[in-house]
Order: sequence, then C-alpha cells, then structure tokens
Amino acid sequence: MYRKRISIWIPIILFTGIFLVLVSNLFYMQVLNGEKYLTISENNYVRISKIKPMRGSIYDRKYRPVALNRTSDNLYFRLSEINEKGKLAQFISDNFAIDSLAVRQIMQKNRFRKYNDIALKKGLDRAKLVEIAENMYKYPSLRIISEYTRHYEYPNHLTGHVGGLNESEYENLKDEGYTLSSNIGKSGLEKQYEEMLRGESGYRLIQVDATGKDLEFLKHNLYQPAKKGLDLILSVDNDLQTYIRSIFPEDKLGAVIVMDVRTGGILSYVSMPEFDPNIFSGEISQGVWNELINDPAQPMLDRVSNGTYPPGSIFKPITASMGLETGVITPSTKMTFCNGGKQIGTRYFKCWKEQGHGRLAVSEAIKLSCDVFFYDLSMLLDLDEMKNFTKANFLTVKTGIDLPIERNGFFPDEAWYRKNYGRYTGIIGPKVNLSIGQGEILVTVLELCAYYSALANDGLWLQPHFLEGYIDKDRVKVSDYETRRLPLATENLELLQHALDRTINEAHGTGSAAKVKGVTVYGKTGSAENHMGKSTHAWFAGYAEWEEPEIAFIVFVQNAGHGGSIAAPIGGKIVKFYDKLRTGNPEEYLKFLPAKTEQVN
Amino acid sequence: MYNPHNRNNSDLFLLVLLLLLMIFGIIMIYSASTTKIGESIEHENYYIKQIVFVIIALIALFVLLKLPVTLIEIMVIPIYAISVIALVAVLFLPAIKGSHRWISIGALGFQPSELVKLFTIMLTAKLLDEQHLTEGKILLRTAAATILPFILIFIEPDLGTAMTLLMSIMIILAFSDLPFYYLVVLVSPLISIVLSVNPIYFAIWIIVLALYFFRQKVHLLIAGLSGIFNASLYFLTPFVWNSLKSYQQNRILTFINPLHDPFGAGYQIIQAKIAIGSGGWFGKGFLMGSQKNLQFLPEHHTDFIFSVIGEELGFFGCLIFIVLYILFLYRVVVNAGKLKRKFMFYTSVGIIANLSIMMFVNISMNMGLVPATGIPLPFIAYGGTNLLFNTLAVGLVMKFASEKNVFD
Repeated sequence: MYRKRISIWIPIILFTGIFLVLVSNLFYMQVLNGEKYLTISENNYVRISKIKPMRGSIYDRKYRPVALNRTSDNLYFRLSEINEKGKLAQFISDNFAIDSLAVRQIMQKNRFRKYNDIALKKGLDRAKLVEIAENMYKYPSLRIISEYTRHYEYPNHLTGHVGGLNESEYENLKDEGYTLSSNIGKSGLEKQYEEMLRGESGYRLIQVDATGKDLEFLKHNLYQPAKKGLDLILSVDNDLQTYIRSIFPEDKLGAVIVMDVRTGGILSYVSMPEFDPNIFSGEISQGVWNELINDPAQPMLDRVSNGTYPPGSIFKPITASMGLETGVITPSTKMTFCNGGKQIGTRYFKCWKEQGHGRLAVSEAIKLSCDVFFYDLSMLLDLDEMKNFTKANFLTVKTGIDLPIERNGFFPDEAWYRKNYGRYTGIIGPKVNLSIGQGEILVTVLELCAYYSALANDGLWLQPHFLEGYIDKDRVKVSDYETRRLPLATENLELLQHALDRTINEAHGTGSAAKVKGVTVYGKTGSAENHMGKSTHAWFAGYAEWEEPEIAFIVFVQNAGHGGSIAAPIGGKIVKFYDKLRTGNPEEYLKFLPAKTEQVN
Repeated sequence: MYNPHNRNNSDLFLLVLLLLLMIFGIIMIYSASTTKIGESIEHENYYIKQIVFVIIALIALFVLLKLPVTLIEIMVIPIYAISVIALVAVLFLPAIKGSHRWISIGALGFQPSELVKLFTIMLTAKLLDEQHLTEGKILLRTAAATILPFILIFIEPDLGTAMTLLMSIMIILAFSDLPFYYLVVLVSPLISIVLSVNPIYFAIWIIVLALYFFRQKVHLLIAGLSGIFNASLYFLTPFVWNSLKSYQQNRILTFINPLHDPFGAGYQIIQAKIAIGSGGWFGKGFLMGSQKNLQFLPEHHTDFIFSVIGEELGFFGCLIFIVLYILFLYRVVVNAGKLKRKFMFYTSVGIIANLSIMMFVNISMNMGLVPATGIPLPFIAYGGTNLLFNTLAVGLVMKFASEKNVFD
C-alpha cells in the first residue's frame, strides 16, 4: 500500500489562510468599524412589514359578483406593548365577548411573536367601536385594523371558503409569500385557483426611529406595493342559480346542475340543503361548527360532485346503447311481452307499470321506461363488459371538474360480487338490477350531466368546468379543458336522441311534465330505489334544443318520489327560465365589469 | 508488561477539543434561544434538545471506536445505497420549511443529506483504494457516486450541502494520484453552466477547454465526451432554468446575489453584519445581544449563530473561538497524516475538507463575504443530524489513527 507523500505544510498553509481571512475581516468589522455598527444596532428600529395583497374577486358569466372582498374592522394586539395582562384580558372580554381565559391562551400561544400583530377577533361591530373609543387609548397594545374579508353573494357549494393558515401550512408556504395572518383558499374554487386569486405581497420598510436617521444599508427598494390577485370569471349564471334555489322542493335534499352543452361551462350548481360559506369569514364558534357537522342533512356535502347515488332509469340509455353497439339487439328487435314483470330464476322482477307494456323495441322501451325490456336485454350482456361500457361513457370516472375534491361513481364487476357475496353467488340477479340503474351502481350527478351533455353534443364529451377566464390577461393561462368521445355509432346516437325526444314530447312519454312550448326538450326520468329511505330518488336528466342544443341538466331530489312527477317539472321550469334568460342581451351586462383600480395601501 | 506505546490510544487532546466545541455550542444556543428584554427573559428549549443531541452523538462516537475497521469498510456501499434511497424518499415527503430535507421521526427531523455526504466521501476513498481499477474507471465511478446524491440534494433544494459535497470530493481528487486534468473534466460542467448566459464567454471557454485537453494529450474519448457534454450545456441550461418556478429562480438568483432579494436573504445578511460589527472588541456580553434579543437576527440558533457569538463576545471572543476551531481541525489533520492506507487517508481528507469548508463558508456568510447558503457551523449550530455525522466523521479519523496496522 503506497500513497503519495503529502507535505504537512499544505494544510498548515491552508488553515493559516483561513485564519487570516476570517480574523482580518472580523478585525475590520468589529474593531475598525465597531463604533459605526454599534450606532446602527442601537438605532435599529427598521423592520420589514409585509403588505397583504387583495384577493382576486370571483364574478359570474355576466360579471356580477359571486365572491368579493368587503372591509371589516378586526381587533389585533401586539404583545410587546402590553403593560398589564390581566387588566387587558378583562377589558377585551368585557367589550368584545371573548372569554378572558381564551385571551390569556392566545397570549401564551404567541409569546415569541412579540412584534407581530396577533388577531383576536374579526368583524367588529361599528357601533360598539364608537362606544368604547374613548377607553381604547388606555390599551396601546390593542389596535383595530380595517381589513378585507371575503364575502359570498349567496349560499353555494362551489366557491368554497378562505381561512387563516395553520402552523404547518405556514411553515410550508412562508417562502411563497404567505404570512401567519394571510388567508388561503381552504376548499372549492378558492382552493383550486389559490395561485391566481392570492396576488403578491408587497413590502414596506418601517422606520420607527424618531430622528429619521439615514438608513445607509437599505436606501433602495424601500417600498414595493402589493399586487392584487386575478379576478376570475365563471360560467355560472347568478340569475339561474338563484332561480333554481328558489324552486327546489322545500325541505328536500338533492342537487341540480345545468351545463352549457357547447362549452362544458357550468351554468348552475346547486346542492341542497344550502350552505353559506360566509360563516367562515368571521370567527366561527364551536357551537355553530358542531351544529353544522352533526346536522343529519349534511349541508356541507356537495351532492353534485361528492355524493354518489343509484341513478335508476336515467341509466337506461347506457344499457340500451350497449345492446345496440355490441349488436345483440337492433333498433327493431322486440323483447318478450311485458305483463308487469318477469320471472328470472327464483326471483320475480317487477316492471314499474303493473299493467305491463306489451312487446317493445328499444326506442319505445326508453320512452315508456319499460323495465322488462332491459331485464331481457341484460341477459344478453356480460357483466364485466357492462362495467367497461359504463366507464367508456365516462360514468364512474372523475370528470376532472375544477374543484379540489371530486368523487367518482361505482359499477361492480363479477369479481366484486364474488369477493363480497361468496364464490358461488349468482350474478344474473344483480345484472338484471344494474341494467335499470339499480343495485350497487352509484354515480355522481356531475358525471350524469356530462354524459347527457355529450349525448346532446353528438357524442362529444366536454369536461365540466367553472372557470371561463380572468380579467388580467397576461399572467396565467386558463388550461384547456379536455374533450372525449362517447363510444357510440352515429345511428345509435341518433336513436337515443330520438328516444329522449319521444320521452318528453310524445303521448304517454314518462317525461311529459318537462315539455316546454317553443323549445325541444329531450330527457329521461328516473325513480331509484335506495337504502336511504322508503320513497325513491326522483331523477330527471336531459337537455334542451333551440337552434342547437344549448343546455344539459340533471335534477335530483333525494327520497322525494317519482322522477316524472317530482323532478321532470323542475327540469321544465329550468328550461323555461333559461329560454327567457338567453334572449337578454349579454352586452348590457358589460357595465357590471369592474373598473380597473389600483390597490391603495 | 504494560507498555502504553504498544496501544495506540485515540487522540485524547482531539477529544477534549471536540468536547470544548460542543459545550461552547450548547452555551451559545442557550443564548440564541433566550430573549432578554429588560428584566423579562423568555427561553426556547433548543439548548436542551442540543444537550440530548450531544449525548447521542458522543454515545455513537464511542460505539464507533469499538467497531473493527473492516466492518466499517464493508458497510460503506450498503449504507451509501440506503442513504441515496433515503434522499429519493425525502423528495416525496411533505416539504418542511419549503424544502424536502427532513425525514420526520416523531418530533425529530433527520436529514439524509448529512449521511450521504459522509458515505460519498468514504465511497470515493474506497474507489481510490481499488488496486485493479484503471484511472478512468475510478474516475467514472467516483463521478457517478457523487453526481447522483449531488443532484438529489440540489433539488431538495439544499444548495449549500450539495456544493459542500462536491467540493469535498474535488479536494480528495486533488490530493489523489490521479492526473490533474481529470479534475478539469469534472469541474468544467459547472463553469459551462455559469458561462452559458453569454455566448461569447461560452465559446471562448469551450475553445480554452479544447486547447487544454489537446496540450495535455487527454484520451480522445474522454476529451470528446467531455467536450460534447459541455457544449450541450449551452442549450440545456436555459431549458432547465425556464422549467423552474419563479420562486425557485429567485432563490438561485438570491444565492448568487443577495441584493436581488433585499427583503429576504439580503436583509438577513445585513442584520448579521450589524450584529457582528456592533460586538466591538469585547462584545455586548453574554445574553445581551440586542440584534438577537430584538429578533432582528434571523435563524440565530442555526445558520446565523456566529453572529450571536460576534455580537455578544466581540472580537476577542471570536478570535479565541476561531483559534480553538482551527486547532481542532489541525489536530484532525495530524491524526490523518499518520494514515498509510489509501481508503483511510482519503476518507480523512474528505472529512477534513468537509468540516473546513462548512466552518469557513458559514463564518464568511455571517460576515457577508459569501452568499447565504444554509450551511451550518459544525458542532456549534443547533441540529441533531449534522452534529451526529460530523462527530462520527471525526470519530472515524480517530479510529483509523488508532489502528495498529496502519503504521509503518
């Protein structure tokens, strides 16, 4: 083993070099310039203060507000300026309805942030402030700061809400310009488009030194203004949104979605019961919170994209088109005679109509929603292929809507039944049920709407979305939305469209309650049995055509009865309202466009 | 008969210096985590944690001294592999303080980059010790072993640690028997990246590089590959740069020039300079640093702890501290100088290089001489992983030096 001899002088020279560099610099700074630095440090009252950016607003398709910033008076305190903790806590609890123990806890929690303003309460009452104004001077640590808080125009499940950062979010995000008092989108569009909405912090050097000493080190860049976030424009129509909320059956749960067939933009997105995101803008009390999360009606649940339900008969077009696409039936194939039901194996499967429908071909079967036709058809189909075909129509697949959380539906396959009901379980019974959208199948309202919209759009599936654009154009691009194609041949697609037309507009069609004069409505009703209650879920799915199909919609009322009598009339009303809406001149709404304003700090 | 000269005891003097540094570190962390304004004093518990870290590090040190060197040598490749995997894993863990450096174990964070640094040094030393390998093969393997962790640490992002690793390996190679032009091959991509901003400088640089290779009669394959790679960096660099997010670009720009971000890193350095300068001859006194107490100094228990030393103990305090530190480093060098086997010697060279670079860069950074890069001051700054592996590194040199068979 041999290695090159290396002189001991090499490290000695290197270390001497390091020593000389460090010590000579220290000597220069501490001894030669020590006095100068000492003076600076004694007068070092220079601090950087971040200027919060104003959050971008959210507008509807006609530039009317959906979410805005409103000023509110908020109470802060600064620990370094507190003289008598006890007295202060008492004063706060007397005048601002905060428990003095809670105040103590906030003080203790923030004891190392002596020079930061710590939030105590938001949205103070103006009248109260006037009342106590004369006593405020005794407590210099308290300060009332006028700030913007988020305000939502109406209860909804799409905007989500903003909230303060928690400690771990702050640790992760402080390099991106967030401070402990920043707000961040916590859910919904506020979370989805956080990066666009949040804006950029500004900075200001605060000089507390009374003598106004020359700041030799920081002469430049003393002020950098904040940049307001981007204003978003949604596809949502506030009028339609408000109208649908007003006509939804009282005390019922459910969801309604209306989508623009031509773009995929969502015109209305209603989930019932309503939920008001404004409750998060103030300090939310534990009581209110508990009430909210323990409410059996689950008002915070978004039933459009986060609830999954059995679709019932509005699923039938998918089973029908699978029969046609696989060639097991033709448009003229007639199934067995429907006399109100069918014996399959040991079980008797009823048709919804006791008197029966007679022998039908596929188009009439959809129009009259004959269950027996689909029972028969299902005997010719393979369960796993049904699952794949459902998936190929983008049901049970997330649509990719621009919301942070979306659930997808579920369609069981043979393996699933084997796993859950044993190796020898029969799959014919479940298959028969699935063919009419019953049994284990679950879908979201959103998936269904995208499907019916694609039927209207000659098979072109457009990704449902809210964001249409933003007002400041040169910063972020709106991503392209996805398009897909339904696996349907043109003639089969036309057959389905025709059948949906007959369902509404021919005598005896199940959806005749949705008929609207001057507009061609296409649709399908559904009444889905479910485990949530005795009465069926009422469904109505469809689209409406003027010169061309314009809107697709799903009406879903949980445990309310029959689709034809409960949901279809709502569908008709929506079409009528939209008919009036579309004749209004969109240009006249341009006056709502906000004037370009500079943020004043 | 017992003869003390038959046993090669670990260097007791070195051990005492190490302990002194550690204790000094705890005392300064105590000061850094204390906020004293007037009569009111608030403590944060960093110093208690640091005491625990020191105890753990010392236990690990004594365990290491009991292990046979052959075992340590066998473990180099497996532990290197594990630590690289840990580096990959850490990228998929949630970011802490904006970077992916830590693996959380309970309340403690573990930095795999510290582990990987030590074992990359050992692996390089091992490769240089291989008898049957050609120079080219040694170099290629060393480059591969270094570049992989370098990139992984770089994207965490932890520029400081990545650069320290790279420089330590370079220094090992500079001390090795390999021809000098290999080092040029390795360093040239860095220069190419920097010069790719200007086509003229870049062209001149490539020509100079080609001439150098020609003069040195470098093997055609090596010269060719190196030349093509360097030239391609001219196109690659802007591509990578544009794919970075704007805050990442800002971080790198600030790394090069702190004044790029006068409200961020630049502000920190200015405050650190004020702190050190205002210490004067004798300092403001223990616990009395106003820059620290008024929280002008950022990160004062970690990267900027030297500013606290400068502010509170003054020039004389710093002088004693630096003398102590260099004495310690020199003592490690003396231990390393005895080593005959290449593996042990090059490992020690790497360890000394690593510790010296960290110490020099950290103190220079506190004085505003080099950009703030997030390199901690070994044995002094708060932090468990760093302390543990730096202690083990020094332990390794002590261990090697106490081995009988390494002597002539």
